[in-house]
Amino acid sequence: MNAHRLHVAGKVGRNLLLVLWTLFALFPIFWMVLITFKSDSQMFNTTFWFNPTFENYEAVLFKTDYFKAFLDNIIVSAGAVLVSVVVGVPAAYALARFDFKKKEDLAFTILSFKFAPEILVILPLFMIYQKIGVYDSYFGLIWVYQLITMPLLIWVVRGYFEDVSVEIEQAAKLDGYRWWEIFLKILLPLIKPGLVSSALLAFIFAWNSFTFPLLLTSFNVETVTVASLKYIASDTVHYGQMAVAATVAALPEVILALIIQKHLVRGLSFGAVKG
Amino acid sequence: MADIQLENLTKTYKDVTALNNVTLSVHDKEFLVLFGPAGAGKTTMLKMIAGLEIPDDGLIKINDEIVNIVNPANRNVSMVFENYALYPHLSVYDNIASPMRSKLYKESEEYIERAIKDVTTKMKIDTLYERLPSQLSNGQRQRVALGRCLVRKPNVFLMDEPLAHLDAKLRHFMRAELKEMQSSFNTTTIYVTHDYMEALSLGDRIAIINEGQIVQLGTGSELFYTPCNEFVAKLMGEPEINIIPAQIIRDKDVVKMRIMKQETLVELPEDVAEFFRHNKIDTVDLGVRGNDLSYSETQTDPEFMEGKVFVLEPIGNRSILTVDIEEHHIRLIVPNDFQKEMDSTMYVKVDLTDTIFFDGETTEFLVRHNQTNLVKGGK
Repeated sequence: MNAHRLHVAGKVGRNLLLVLWTLFALFPIFWMVLITFKSDSQMFNTTFWFNPTFENYEAVLFKTDYFKAFLDNIIVSAGAVLVSVVVGVPAAYALARFDFKKKEDLAFTILSFKFAPEILVILPLFMIYQKIGVYDSYFGLIWVYQLITMPLLIWVVRGYFEDVSVEIEQAAKLDGYRWWEIFLKILLPLIKPGLVSSALLAFIFAWNSFTFPLLLTSFNVETVTVASLKYIASDTVHYGQMAVAATVAALPEVILALIIQKHLVRGLSFGAVKG
Repeated sequence: MADIQLENLTKTYKDVTALNNVTLSVHDKEFLVLFGPAGAGKTTMLKMIAGLEIPDDGLIKINDEIVNIVNPANRNVSMVFENYALYPHLSVYDNIASPMRSKLYKESEEYIERAIKDVTTKMKIDTLYERLPSQLSNGQRQRVALGRCLVRKPNVFLMDEPLAHLDAKLRHFMRAELKEMQSSFNTTTIYVTHDYMEALSLGDRIAIINEGQIVQLGTGSELFYTPCNEFVAKLMGEPEINIIPAQIIRDKDVVKMRIMKQETLVELPEDVAEFFRHNKIDTVDLGVRGNDLSYSETQTDPEFMEGKVFVLEPIGNRSILTVDIEEHHIRLIVPNDFQKEMDSTMYVKVDLTDTIFFDGETTEFLVRHNQTNLVKGGK
C-alpha cells in the first residue's frame, strides 16, 4: 500500500515538474503570440486582459512587403541547404572513405568555418561582396550561408558514412550495381536519418540567420529576420507588429520540425553508435 | 566456371606487405582452400580476384583474360564477406535477391523466388524472409550472406570464412552441405579459412599462406603427411604437432639418433636411415603427432623416455595428455577413460615410422618413412 502511494506520489511529482518546465519553456512563445493581438495603445498597460485585435496582422501581412521577405527567406535558406547537400554529401563521403594527405586538417578547417563569429568576418565580406557584385543577391546570400549549413551537414553525414562498412559497398559492386545505383539504393537509405536531420537543422540555422542578411543585402533581397526590424519606427517600437512577424517566421520551422521530429532525435544520436 | 591465374601478385599497404609475389593457378571447378594465420593476406587475395583491391604489381587472369582493370561488377564473381556485409535496410529476402535484381545479372521475379527458396531451404533460413539483418543472430546472418553468394551462377565463388561464426553443430552441418553443393554446382571456389578441419574436408587443394606468400600448395594428405616445414605442420592437426629436437649419430654406415638428451640411441626406419647416409645433416627436429606416441607406466624398453604428467585435458571422445620430458611439453592423445595424477611418472616412446623429420636449423621438411606411398603422385 505504502509502495503504491509512493509510486503515485512519484508520478504526480514527475508530471508536476514537467508541467513547470513546459510553462517555463513555452511562456515566451505564448507571450509572443499574445501580444500579436494587442494594439499599440494597450501594449504597456495590460497583461492578459485586453481587447484582442487583428490590426497588427493586417498591418504586417497586407500593408508591408513581409510576404516578399518570407519568400526570399525560403529561397535563400532552401537554396543554401540544397547546395550544402549537393556539395556536402560527396565531400562527406570522401572524408569518410578515402585516405588522402591532410584529410583531418581539411575536415577541421571545414568545421572551423562555424567557429568564427559572424560579426568578425562580416566587414571584409561586405567589401568583397561589393567588389565582385554579389552584394544584395540570392546567390551571394546562399554562398555565405554555406558557412552555416555546410560544416554541420558534412560532419553529421560523414559519421553516417563511416558507420556503413566498406564491405557493404563492395558486396553491392559484386552484385552488379553501378556506383550511382549503389549510392541511391544502398548508401542513401542508410544515411537518410543523418541527412534529413542535419539538413533540417541547417535550414533552421540559415532561416534564423541575422547578421549576414542584415549587412550583405539591402532592397533586392530581404529576409524575415531583417524585415522584423522595420517595426522599430523612429518614434515608437511596434511590438505587436514585430511579434506578428516573428510568429509567422517561426511557423515553417515548427511545421518542419514536427514532420521530421522522429528523424531528428534518432538521426543526430544514432550515427555515433555501431548498429 | 573458370580458371583463375594469379601471377606475381604484390600488394603493399603503406609499409605493410600484404601479398608478396604470389603466383597461383586455380583450375576450373576446383575447390581451393586458402589457409593460414590471421593477417597472412588471404582476404587481400580474395578481394583482388573480386576486383575490390587493385594489385601494385602482377596479373590476375580469369579464363586466360587479364582482368586487372575490369570493374568488379563485370567479373561475375560471387563473394561471402567475413563480416557478412548484408544490406541493413533490406529484408533477408531482398538481400538474397539483390544480385539477381541488378541490371547486369537480371532474372525474372519468378526465377528469383524459386532460386531463393532453393538456397534458403538448404541453409535452413527459409522462415526468416521478412526479417532485417539486425533481427538475426550471427549464425543466421552468416547463412544469409552465404545464401546471397550461392544463389548466383558466377565464374567463381569467393568465400571468406563463411562458417566462422556458426556454432559447432551447425558448422559441421554446413560443411557437409557446402561439400555436397560444390559437387553439384561445378563452379570454381576459393575458400578462406583458419580451421584446419574445414580446409582438409573441403579443399581439393590447400594453399598455406603466411606473411603474404604461399608456403605450400597441395592436397590435404600432402600437407598433412609431408608438410614442407614446421610452420605448416603446426597448422594442421589438433593438438598441435610435437616438435622434438634430436641428433643424428653416425658410426660409419650405421645411422642412429639421440632424441633430446636421452642416453639410449634409437634405430631409424631403413628408408629414413638411407636418407641421412646421403645427407650430412646432424641436427633434426622430429614432428610427432599426438597419436604417434606410445606411452606406458613402466619402462618396458629402453627407448621409452621418462617424463612427468603436466596436465590431462578431456575433450570428449578422447583426452590430451601433456607430459614434460626434459623441459619439453609433449602432447599425446589418450582414451578418455585414462586417469593419471599430475606429476606422476610416465614413459613415452616416439613412433618413428610416423615421424616427420625436419632440418633442425632451417625447419624445412627432410624426410619421413614410407613417403612415396603416403602421398600418391606427390607434388
